[in-house]
Amino acid sequence: MSHSTTPANQPNSTSTLPHQPHVLVVKRHHLLVRWSHWLNVPILLGLILSGISIYWASPVYQHKPDPNTGNFDVAADIGIWICAHVPGLHHYSSPPDWIYNHMSLGPGMLALALRLHWLCAYLFMLNGMVYVAGLVLGGGWRSLLPRRTDVFDALKMFRYYIGFPFAKLIRREWLHPLFNAKYNALQRVAYFSVPVVGCLSVATGWAIHKPMQLHWLAAIFGGYNAARVWHFWLLWIYILFLVPHLFLVFADGWDTLRSMIVGWSTRVQPPEVIAHDQ
Amino acid sequence: MISKENRNPSVAAKSVAMKKPESFFAEQPPRKIEMAPAHLHQLTRRDVLLFGAGALAVLAGGGFVLPQVTLWRLGVRRNMDFPGKEWFLNKALCVDDDVAEALYSGNRRVPTYSKSQITPLKNNYNGVPPDPGYIFGWNLTLDGLASGLSISLDIRNLTTRFSMHEQITRLVCVEGWSAIAWWAGLRFDDLLRAYPPMSQAKWARVESSVNLDASGNPDPYFMSLDMATARHPQTLLATHFNGQLLNVDHGAPLRLLVPVKLGLKNVKAVTRITYVAEEPRDYWAERGYSRYDGI
Repeated sequence: MSHSTTPANQPNSTSTLPHQPHVLVVKRHHLLVRWSHWLNVPILLGLILSGISIYWASPVYQHKPDPNTGNFDVAADIGIWICAHVPGLHHYSSPPDWIYNHMSLGPGMLALALRLHWLCAYLFMLNGMVYVAGLVLGGGWRSLLPRRTDVFDALKMFRYYIGFPFAKLIRREWLHPLFNAKYNALQRVAYFSVPVVGCLSVATGWAIHKPMQLHWLAAIFGGYNAARVWHFWLLWIYILFLVPHLFLVFADGWDTLRSMIVGWSTRVQPPEVIAHDQ
Repeated sequence: MISKENRNPSVAAKSVAMKKPESFFAEQPPRKIEMAPAHLHQLTRRDVLLFGAGALAVLAGGGFVLPQVTLWRLGVRRNMDFPGKEWFLNKALCVDDDVAEALYSGNRRVPTYSKSQITPLKNNYNGVPPDPGYIFGWNLTLDGLASGLSISLDIRNLTTRFSMHEQITRLVCVEGWSAIAWWAGLRFDDLLRAYPPMSQAKWARVESSVNLDASGNPDPYFMSLDMATARHPQTLLATHFNGQLLNVDHGAPLRLLVPVKLGLKNVKAVTRITYVAEEPRDYWAERGYSRYDGI
């Protein structure tokens, strides 16, 4: 899917081109970065769904068994609450399983969930290596490095995003903070953190998968039980990232989404110009 | 930044000169490429179509590996349980077993704990506990020995002829919970030295008195253990739990304690150990779990 710039690959119809204006594009994402980005979608989905099915077998968050039902799982309590309070769910056949029926492969399939989890985990690690290779080959890693000004600038961007809908409502001008880099500070913080979270997920995963041979790794996270809690909460960081990530990508427009598919972007002007255009 | 004099109609796309980066770590200015709209359109269409084809392939692949129950809930009414599904997932599982075996080291000891760190250990029987009556006539039978004999040992034989070892280790269940418990018993390695297995033996098949399912019907438990793990110095044939003789819940009178394996390999109330050359059947491996189970 790389874009050849050699004349040998040009279609014959280019003879008509002098009448058309040429367009300028910039390379935005390396082929391997794009592939690994999209492969993360099914792999992470598989990891999360099978992971919650594994969680079912021995929930991290438990309480004393209910004297009537014997239930001890907080996730089952949430399911029961949802079925009791959400309209249309009052006749749900198995309220304690609601969470597992909707956020996992399903309850009661530990062996299968473990197999799928490991299959996806090995793919996730391979995919991570492909991503790193793409960052190195395309030089994109430089755009992800945190900068000294990032904390302050990220807060400015955060304020911009939060205020944007209100400014629209009251028809007030709401300027995008200026930046002259591939990513704004908030993006940089997010895109730098998510691979770090990926590494932590892999490390905690190994710590609870091989707590005897890799007991030093489990010890880094505070022991076997603590590593399980880490592994569970790291999942929520992906979700915390994904919700605004999806929202902003669609809010930002086709060029941004397309650039992750085709690699290039037509946004070649200095970002200051873009900022004042809005 | 665009060198207009170089614009050549026969070249639909070309690279435009860029500035050198200031430092190795500094972000480089984006490389600008000049392209003919038609060519750009063609490339975009190709890549978006490829992307769509890839997404469909992943969707189909997901349908291939997802369990039938999950697919049913997603509205798929067709039977997607192809014979290849089991094979494929087993293959993926074998990779993990190979990794586990490569990680194993006979010299590496598992962490041990102090008595203050002991936690409650639940009885996680898959079926109903056995009738304690079996304990009185209990014997451990050894088969597949170098001598060619079948040896029967009673509990007095085992506790008086072998030196006892104590350890406080963590037992980790495949379900995810774990417990730190204080065990005492003889080393499996000492038993192997006293009654050497036949030279071709690579595996031990371990059988148990715990063999009833949830409704009380016969459900024999059998498990495979590789000889390297059997020889590990922390692999015990335990007779005591938390300072007391083992009770029925924890596998009286003798249970296998392999802290380098998942709990399901820690067979309770061991009745027979057979040394074999080929990997024997394993109760949980036949129910979809891994067979090596090294942790």
